Amino acid sequence: MSRTLEASEIHKYFGGVKAVQGVSLTLETARIIGLIGPNGSGKSTLLNVIAGIEKPTKGTVTVDGRRVDGWPAHRMVELGVAKTHQIPKPFLGMTCRENVAVAMMYGSRREGEPASALEESRRILAMVGLDRRADAPASNLTVQERKRLEFARVLATGAGLVLLDEIFAGLSPDELRDAIALFARVQKEQGFGALVVEHVMRAVMILSDFVVVIEEGRKIAEGSPKEVVEDPAVIEAYLGSEATNVTP
Amino acid sequence: MKLPKLRAIGPSLWGIGVFLLVLAGLAPWIPRFPLTILVNLLIFAALAYSLNFITGLTGYVNFGHVVFMAVGAYTLGYTVGTIRLHPLGGVALGGLMALVLALGLGAVTLRFRGVYFAIASLVTPLAGLNIVLVLPALGGGQGILLNIGFDPLSWFYTIWAIIATEVGLTYWITHGRLGYGIRAIKSDEDAAKSLGVNAPRLKLFLFALSGLFAGATGGVYAWTTSGVFPEAAFDLTFSLRMLAMIVIGGMGTLLGPLIGAIAVYLPSRFFLTIFIGTESIIIGLVVIVIALFVPGGIVGTLRKYVPELRRILE
Repeated sequence: MSRTLEASEIHKYFGGVKAVQGVSLTLETARIIGLIGPNGSGKSTLLNVIAGIEKPTKGTVTVDGRRVDGWPAHRMVELGVAKTHQIPKPFLGMTCRENVAVAMMYGSRREGEPASALEESRRILAMVGLDRRADAPASNLTVQERKRLEFARVLATGAGLVLLDEIFAGLSPDELRDAIALFARVQKEQGFGALVVEHVMRAVMILSDFVVVIEEGRKIAEGSPKEVVEDPAVIEAYLGSEATNVTP
Repeated sequence: MKLPKLRAIGPSLWGIGVFLLVLAGLAPWIPRFPLTILVNLLIFAALAYSLNFITGLTGYVNFGHVVFMAVGAYTLGYTVGTIRLHPLGGVALGGLMALVLALGLGAVTLRFRGVYFAIASLVTPLAGLNIVLVLPALGGGQGILLNIGFDPLSWFYTIWAIIATEVGLTYWITHGRLGYGIRAIKSDEDAAKSLGVNAPRLKLFLFALSGLFAGATGGVYAWTTSGVFPEAAFDLTFSLRMLAMIVIGGMGTLLGPLIGAIAVYLPSRFFLTIFIGTESIIIGLVVIVIALFVPGGIVGTLRKYVPELRRILE
């Protein structure tokens, strides 16, 4: 089933801080949208608004034409929109399988029985390469493994549209290559649509079908990855105004 | 609702079940005085189980749990005193009233987390006491004195039924889908929400259960004391003792509240005359030691360090 999430003219203010100011974007099944921008440009806030963790100050979010802005996060998950946390939040007292089983039972799959959810969790953990850690307590995982668990849980919710907050951050070049390949494979198999917030340009360039660039809460460019990196406004945002004048 | 197969239910539930059945069978032959002590012990166990639903399972520390007990006690006192309701009816109504109060209170206070929830919960018995003191219908500062006789066997079977229901429900909740959602909330509420767990509703459900059973138990308590007295009904040390019981026994476990109730109640009963006035100090010290060094309580610690017991104790 093809699904469409549309965020239009999203504003989010925290008191006097205007974190997001009128950003619109569309997310669809089987498409990967990269969302980039300098630190503090409002990427995570925008993701939180879409995922229902924050309420937008202004603007609307619709899923398949239905207004969903202001819905709490757990209802968005039921609807099939789930998000990873930038800093992984595993349930430390539980094993990896149990972590995934929670997502499986409470996400849009609504798997009712713990026994079958636990069984099915193995398959999801294998998908992200954590099968050998299935029965390890989540507290024993390394940071990278925690990121994979975070991704596994989002997959386990059965979400058709996923929001990924910096899942490639902090990896060594080898790990990054593996992680990108793994993500591409899983995305192809599962066919979900993804909104990927990322600093790691290599990942964005390889994976994204379309890239949106924001700076200080406003959209400054969008287009294919290639178009975006050649956009003077983007270069200026990342490197400052001098850089645009440099002739190679 | 799907019930677990008999063979699949764990040794702990079997253990408690057999213990309760033996008690129920023996009760008619137990002399009156020891039976009243047993009833008092079971009242504390029932309170500990009721607190376990919210504080044990979710980690939301409720200092104001005694308020539900007081509501149950006053409901029984009022209905039995004015319309001559049978005490059992008073117990049931007491549970119901406390349930309603829990729904109302929880809808507000469960929005707070950690220490803020604890502080909000601390205020409710103080508010309750001051409301009751100005209500003539509830006897104001005098309380309600009932004349409903001395009937330890009826008390026993009533509190017995309450505990059996609590144990069964605790088991059912912790072993199903709900149990996973609750553990997720206890571990990281935000992460739980972002995986689809309706945390506010689940917490309110547990809080309501916790109120329901504390209220019913409060009714039994008023029945055994043949009256309700404001300062005693809203006594904060009751809350603290219940907390001590689940902390000592093991928060969120199936056996913990029962073990904790025995561990706290019996010594304080037998040393009553030796340590007059120092009982709370001793309980307080024990709780501090447990919280610092063995936070899992008796059951949690045994499970942690003796792997062979993990399948047996829960």
